[in-house]
Amino acid sequence: MRVLTFPRILVASALRGLRASPVTAVVGALTLAITLVLVGTFGLALLNMRDLLERVGSDITLSAYLSPDLSESERANLRERIASVEGVESIEYVSPEQARERFEAGVGARLPLLEGLEENPLPAAFEISLLPEARTPAGLRIAVESIEGLRGVDDLGYGLEWVESYARLVSLFGVAATGLSVIMALAALLIVSNTIHLAFYARRDELTILSIVGASRTFMALPFVMEGFVQGAVGGLLALGCLYTGFLLVIPAVTSGLALLFGHAEPQFFSTLEGGALVAGGALLGVLGSVLALAGSRLR
Amino acid sequence: MTSTPAGGAAAPSPAAVRIFHLSKSYVAGKFALHNISFEVAKGEFLFLTGPSGAGKTTLLKLLFAAERPSEGQIILRGRNIARLRETGIPKLRRRVGVVFQDFKLLARRTLEENVRIALEVVGTPVREARARTFSILKQVGLQERRHHYPLSLSGGEQQRVAIARALVNQPEILLADEPTGNLDAELTLEIMDLLVGAAARGTTVLVATHDRRLIDHYRKRTLVLEGGRLVRDVPAGGRSA
Repeated sequence: MRVLTFPRILVASALRGLRASPVTAVVGALTLAITLVLVGTFGLALLNMRDLLERVGSDITLSAYLSPDLSESERANLRERIASVEGVESIEYVSPEQARERFEAGVGARLPLLEGLEENPLPAAFEISLLPEARTPAGLRIAVESIEGLRGVDDLGYGLEWVESYARLVSLFGVAATGLSVIMALAALLIVSNTIHLAFYARRDELTILSIVGASRTFMALPFVMEGFVQGAVGGLLALGCLYTGFLLVIPAVTSGLALLFGHAEPQFFSTLEGGALVAGGALLGVLGSVLALAGSRLR
Repeated sequence: MTSTPAGGAAAPSPAAVRIFHLSKSYVAGKFALHNISFEVAKGEFLFLTGPSGAGKTTLLKLLFAAERPSEGQIILRGRNIARLRETGIPKLRRRVGVVFQDFKLLARRTLEENVRIALEVVGTPVREARARTFSILKQVGLQERRHHYPLSLSGGEQQRVAIARALVNQPEILLADEPTGNLDAELTLEIMDLLVGAAARGTTVLVATHDRRLIDHYRKRTLVLEGGRLVRDVPAGGRSA
């Protein structure tokens, strides 16, 4: 019976506390919501930057442009040597004619650069795809270094520098976003802790009476922890709602720009699990804020 | 001052409280209480009296562990509460009811809720808590007004609620600090009768008061404090002066 009685009393006490000082509770929840909107914005940006990096990485192919004087047997030999390079998944031969067709179907459709040229200036090439695990800047570098010195390869086309720079940017952004998020979370923690302190103050008469009639410290403290939890969870839900609304409003405008830059863009919102983690993070901040306030109190 | 048995009792009752060489000092060298020793029998009614600053309130605070003694022992049920750990204080307070001059009721809760709070902290099931609250409010004559709020009551009625809250857990000891300090003469007797009645039902009652008329009226055992020292232990039926 007691097992059921205590939670009921504690929940009632927490709700009474929220009703008794609604302004401080709302301020606490809004503070957390604002913090989580900022943290969530960083998270969304990072999520999409990483997603883009992954997609760009998965699209990475190397083009080994071949010497025009390469015999068929030399080409077959070269193909075997490239196939044995670490990380190479498949090799496709693209003849000069196929290269011209592809060019004219792509860039050439808008810019007729090859129009009027009688001789095809495009060389034959091997289009080299990498294994998924090798589609990283490091994997790409290993493949490039192994292939570029091979006899019969005139030139090697790849986007390594771009991918490396972008990966560095993503990594740097990740570190900066994490750092800023931690600082903002700490600031929110202090504000929530302060609002719980105000709730203490507002209910000091009740706490005195509870103490006199023999309430344990846990009994007195738990409603405040629950208040912190509710403030945090509400703040998290508000933040998630704001982020989703912002995502729906902003993304159509951004998508076309991203598509122009990267060829394709499908901005992602948080998964259910990630959204849940944001709300849970808010609740955790609320609880930690309460615990911090309790640690500084003299409940006895 | 040495320990003194309860005066007037036909047979000696076991001690509910034993206090040995109790001192309390807030500032080094200055004692709010100094070397106090006495015993109170189970179910005994005891007045603590003396002028302001004599140490009455300090003594009561030590008895429900709102303060810690500087020296000495307070034995309750064979346990020295002077050495009680922080976690043991709530358990002690569930056995010690306290009544204050200013009632200490929650204005936004009904009388019933104000009393029930003492049962909630020990996890009493809801139905049982309601029944016990009703019963104790009936005992103090306020069962019909249990859904009222404290501020709609007179001072005497508020103090009756505070006494009901202190008694609802059937404490072994009831401490009352100037419980009639804010009340007129008629209400004072009403409240005192409730406290004397609690003692008659087996609760040990200690009442701090500076009201000589009360002490003369009830002629219960009286400890007289002055300057933090116990200067007189007047047995029940004796004269306080």
